[in-house]
Amino acid sequence: MTMPAPPSPVHWRLNPEVYRLIGMRCKDCGHITYPRRKVCPKCGSFNTENHKLSKKGTVHTYCINYVLPPEIEPPAPIAIVDLEGGGKFQGLFTEVAKPEDVKIGAKVELVLRKILTSRGIAMYGYKVRLVEEG
Amino acid sequence: MESIRGKVAIIGVGMIPFGEHFEKSMEDMAQETYINCIKSVDKGIEPKKDIKAAWLGNLGRLFGAGAMSGSWLATQIGNTGIPITRIESGCPTGSDTLRHAIFGVASGMYDVVLALGAEKMREKPGTESLIALGTIGLGGHPSWTWGSTAPAMQAVYATRQMYELGYTMETFARVAVKNHHNGKLCPFAHYRYEVTIEDVLRSPMVCWPLHLLDCCPQTDGAAAVIVCRADLAKNYTDKPVYVLGTHVGLDHSFYWDKHNFIEMLATVRAANGAFDMAGIKREEVDFAEVHDCFTNTEVMNYEDIGFCKKGEGGPRLMEGYFDIDGPLPIQPSGGLKAHGHPIAATGISQICECFWQLREEAGDRQVKLKNGIALQHNVGGAGFGVSCVTITSRNP
Ligand SMILES: [Zn+2]
Repeated sequence: MTMPAPPSPVHWRLNPEVYRLIGMRCKDCGHITYPRRKVCPKCGSFNTENHKLSKKGTVHTYCINYVLPPEIEPPAPIAIVDLEGGGKFQGLFTEVAKPEDVKIGAKVELVLRKILTSRGIAMYGYKVRLVEEG
Repeated sequence: MESIRGKVAIIGVGMIPFGEHFEKSMEDMAQETYINCIKSVDKGIEPKKDIKAAWLGNLGRLFGAGAMSGSWLATQIGNTGIPITRIESGCPTGSDTLRHAIFGVASGMYDVVLALGAEKMREKPGTESLIALGTIGLGGHPSWTWGSTAPAMQAVYATRQMYELGYTMETFARVAVKNHHNGKLCPFAHYRYEVTIEDVLRSPMVCWPLHLLDCCPQTDGAAAVIVCRADLAKNYTDKPVYVLGTHVGLDHSFYWDKHNFIEMLATVRAANGAFDMAGIKREEVDFAEVHDCFTNTEVMNYEDIGFCKKGEGGPRLMEGYFDIDGPLPIQPSGGLKAHGHPIAATGISQICECFWQLREEAGDRQVKLKNGIALQHNVGGAGFGVSCVTITSRNP
């Protein structure tokens, strides 16, 4: 099984991205991406800066996964979120009572949650939660 | 970009029936395929004298059986005296392998070369392969793969196609119905049975909105093609098939950078490049073999290749436009859906099908030819960021 291994250089290196949602904004074309990059993936500019992603957004598209890697319980909705202020986020939902509640255009927020345990170490990251309207 | 039109021909093809070959190793499959390919050359070929280089396609490492370099193929074909390069390029691995062989000949470097793709996917249980595919993009990304699998990577597109273009689960199911119908007619296909729209909609949900019968199977297989200088092709066969154009198009590997979820930019770019090289219009294509890893992907392909406008693919499919007896047959072989998708063998097997169809040797599944032009397409890799389109013809 090829699974992400938290006690690995990759996870340690990406600490600011994983816990503080630090992405990149291109000062030339305005593209926002995640994780950070030294070269803008859209236009190739070197003129980039750190950009903290918003934790609020709306569901751009989603799916509900029934055949999952170990430790993730089906049905698991996964969203691509359009974030306020630009940029996208892709993540698993949390606290969904019924998968049918997930809709394109639904307002969501990113919340820090345990994702899975690997080699005895708890792996945390951001999940997506529906925001109650009102 | 310079055209390769008129420079390169295909003089022989070979493959083995795709399926679950628990009794065969990847080595067995490659050797049988190679023998079939060499024997297919109408006027004969002396492989050790004539074949001057080869390219091997293999994704391998994800599925537990793979080749590390070209020397693996050298051993299988009993020829360590020529250069062989291994290519890995996501789901278009097979077609990109052939593209390198085509350029090897078009450059004037070699007169005759071999392209062979082999993949052993059933060495691992199905679920493990599925998850392995979903984790391809992990490289350097903090959260890309959490909960993701190959079907999930496409399902997010399917949901948006339904929302923006009005497609339904029935639209996607119609692709499975068409492709299984064709697969039943093809002796090389993994699945040789019909399905109905109801069968698809009643099959277990793998990743909403995609059911089990919306997904291509996991298949073992191998396929090979012999590529030759166009002006020498008639020494080997009276019916060569000519390469008019071949191009790889790219898009970003991660969904964070995508422009939308109803179009695959990689396919658009690969198709535009191949058509420019071929110097032909979309309407001149008689039939196509495209990448239906999932049923919704095929509908996207109709539009992204440019056979119709965005939003027209679904309605045309439902009218029977892409059926085997329709105006533009798509997947006479059964497609990935019924024929199978052994990654590195897939693209080359689609070219085998184009070769047989263009020579009118496809038996029960033979399509009607008008211009004698075929299109082959793959899309895949991390985030569906790579596509390859190759256009072939019975005329130079
Ligand atoms: Zn930029």
